[in-house]
Amino acid sequence: MAYSVLIVDDSPVMRSFIRRVMRLSGFELGECWEASNGEEALSELKEHAVDVILTDINMPKMNGEEFLRRLEEMGTLRSVPTLVISTDATKNRILRMLSLGADGYMTKPFSPESLREELERVLGARNASRA
Amino acid sequence: MPHELEHLEAAGQRDAGQEAEFTATLGRLAGEVLETMFFAEAVAAECEHGWLPDAVAVRVDFEGSHCGEMWLALTPAAIPSIASAFLGLEPEETGEEQSAQVILELANILCGAVLSSLWPESRLLLDPPKSTAWECPDEGVWHCCLALDEGALAISIRLSGVKELA
Repeated sequence: MAYSVLIVDDSPVMRSFIRRVMRLSGFELGECWEASNGEEALSELKEHAVDVILTDINMPKMNGEEFLRRLEEMGTLRSVPTLVISTDATKNRILRMLSLGADGYMTKPFSPESLREELERVLGARNASRA
Repeated sequence: MPHELEHLEAAGQRDAGQEAEFTATLGRLAGEVLETMFFAEAVAAECEHGWLPDAVAVRVDFEGSHCGEMWLALTPAAIPSIASAFLGLEPEETGEEQSAQVILELANILCGAVLSSLWPESRLLLDPPKSTAWECPDEGVWHCCLALDEGALAISIRLSGVKELA
């Protein structure tokens, strides 16, 4: 099964990197949508169904925290697993994002293999909870 | 909620052991970031700063429980291979604008990784990285230089204060 993914990051080169390493890692990537902040991501989600969301935290207009809050309000977090990818590896930040409903948290730097493993974990956990 | 603000003379409070430990952490993490996401090998090198005035430099200010700035400098010769490896392109396919964005991203990742490792209990907010000339002071900073396959890299972190957040 190929998974459709939404990548939310204000850096176009980071979005490109994530997309590339997902393919390199062997992750079964289907359609891949991109947004540069939470606001754009919400618009993308109105247009496209996705299997998993990867989001940064520090972004203009709507940051990752506000994006997760909006997803929770919309009920999206109950159906779509969300993985935070950030440079911030402090305990406070990780716990905050998980408490807002993120299914996983990856810190940069990360290898292609670790990204695939984390994607498979959050997708597997969500599928298991539905079964 | 008001918070207590305590400015520390950061440079004056560091002992030699802490200095060595932080500098080693800086070099180790920089090497890991470059190897893992930029597919570049970096090894610790003696500081020879004659190239810094001509370097491509980036500054990242940070605030929160710890305030200060991180400086990153690269020799121009190091940039094509780092940028093209990150983007999965050949060096000749990589444009200047893309290369500049990759170096900003490198600075962002380095800063987050280093600060999170040095102060894992902190609350940090990183400003967007800014391209600039290298204007980092030599004194009162944690600093390391690394040799790359093509060129060199320097990193400095200056801590200007620590806040106790409520």
